[in-house]
Amino acid sequence: MYAAATGMAAQQTQLEIVADNLANADVAGFKGAAATFTEVRAGAIGLGTTVLGRHALLAQGKLSRSGGPFDIAIDGAGFFIVERGSARAYTRNGEFARQADGSLRNAAGWNLAGVRIPADALAARVERDGRVVVDTPEQRGRPVAQLRLAAFAAPEGLRPLGATLFAQSEASGPARSFVPGARDGPAIAFGMLERSNVSIVESMMQILGAQRAYEANAKGIQAADEMLRIANNLHRS
Amino acid sequence: MRAARAQLDVATHNLANAVSDGFRRLVTRVSLGAGGLAVRTEAATEQGAIRPTDRPFDLALLGPGAFRVGDHATRNGAFSRDRDGWVVDDRRRRLHGACGALRVSAGAAIAADGTVRDGGRIVDRIPLPAGTHLQSGALETSTVNPIGETLAILTAQRAFETAQKTMLAIDGTREKAANDVVRLK
Repeated sequence: MYAAATGMAAQQTQLEIVADNLANADVAGFKGAAATFTEVRAGAIGLGTTVLGRHALLAQGKLSRSGGPFDIAIDGAGFFIVERGSARAYTRNGEFARQADGSLRNAAGWNLAGVRIPADALAARVERDGRVVVDTPEQRGRPVAQLRLAAFAAPEGLRPLGATLFAQSEASGPARSFVPGARDGPAIAFGMLERSNVSIVESMMQILGAQRAYEANAKGIQAADEMLRIANNLHRS
Repeated sequence: MRAARAQLDVATHNLANAVSDGFRRLVTRVSLGAGGLAVRTEAATEQGAIRPTDRPFDLALLGPGAFRVGDHATRNGAFSRDRDGWVVDDRRRRLHGACGALRVSAGAAIAADGTVRDGGRIVDRIPLPAGTHLQSGALETSTVNPIGETLAILTAQRAFETAQKTMLAIDGTREKAANDVVRLK
């Protein structure tokens, strides 16, 4: 009976994670998560299951052309470095908009670190290698900044701060900043956004599986309960 | 009744592990012994389906065998590389190769025969039984079939009920024998 209860708890955890993945399936730069489960045993006696842990799935999402004026995407590994006040975070979501003061800000109010567009710039773009180039009335293609990306020894250890933001943690190791565009290395794609790496079809299959397993586990509890009832009726009154 | 109860315990344990990667369902073998019905459990040996995951250090075993993590064995191959290069599971336990805990760079690759290549050099080998292969970037899913286990639960429940009825019948016969056979009319 208790083994079945652990199974129901596990399926609930699974459902929560898959539901969170699905809820963010349309968010640019979102990375899905997965839980791993393992059996619990005392010698030959099975005691059910337990959550071993959960991890982020950092596989590359598809890049798609977008309509935003300052959308950028990373083709390869690495994170954008964003700042708000003195706080620093990392993200794969490259939906930025140019502000009056020249900074590039995302919807959550975080600025792209190290980049400022001059006030007289008519147009701005980011090259493959992270150079930020603007067209001014006097000069076309004037470089004004260098965009750097962050890499981590163990990016799966990053601490999530909401849907697409991450913070450095003990498990991830410190951020190491690098210039994109090296041969075979990550590069910047301007005018593109990285779609979330959640597969809706796979998530739906996971939900159906979790639901069926949840019901079956409930059946197990009912059966155990029924057996106890029958055992109680052994003594005829 | 004890046998039916044991079968139910195994079925619920299996069901609880329907999504545990690398789990092999337990099967019960019932045999008639001196003390009545005895139930033995063993892990079924069929191979679980392989699910691709896109994570380079996820490993699926094709064939018998197990990974050694920390001080115990598992078939769950969900591993990642931690900040110091150790290959660890989701509980931060280290995967062991033939030469001890495995420590590699981010570009390391694990081949089908278990050899671990890092920067073009073979650095270690994951011990595998003869005939077993590894697939990296994939996981072996649980071999539990929820429908089969639900059926096992229902069967165990009915068997339990039958046993109870039989016991009541035996009890009834004995009651008659004890009270009615020598009753003087």
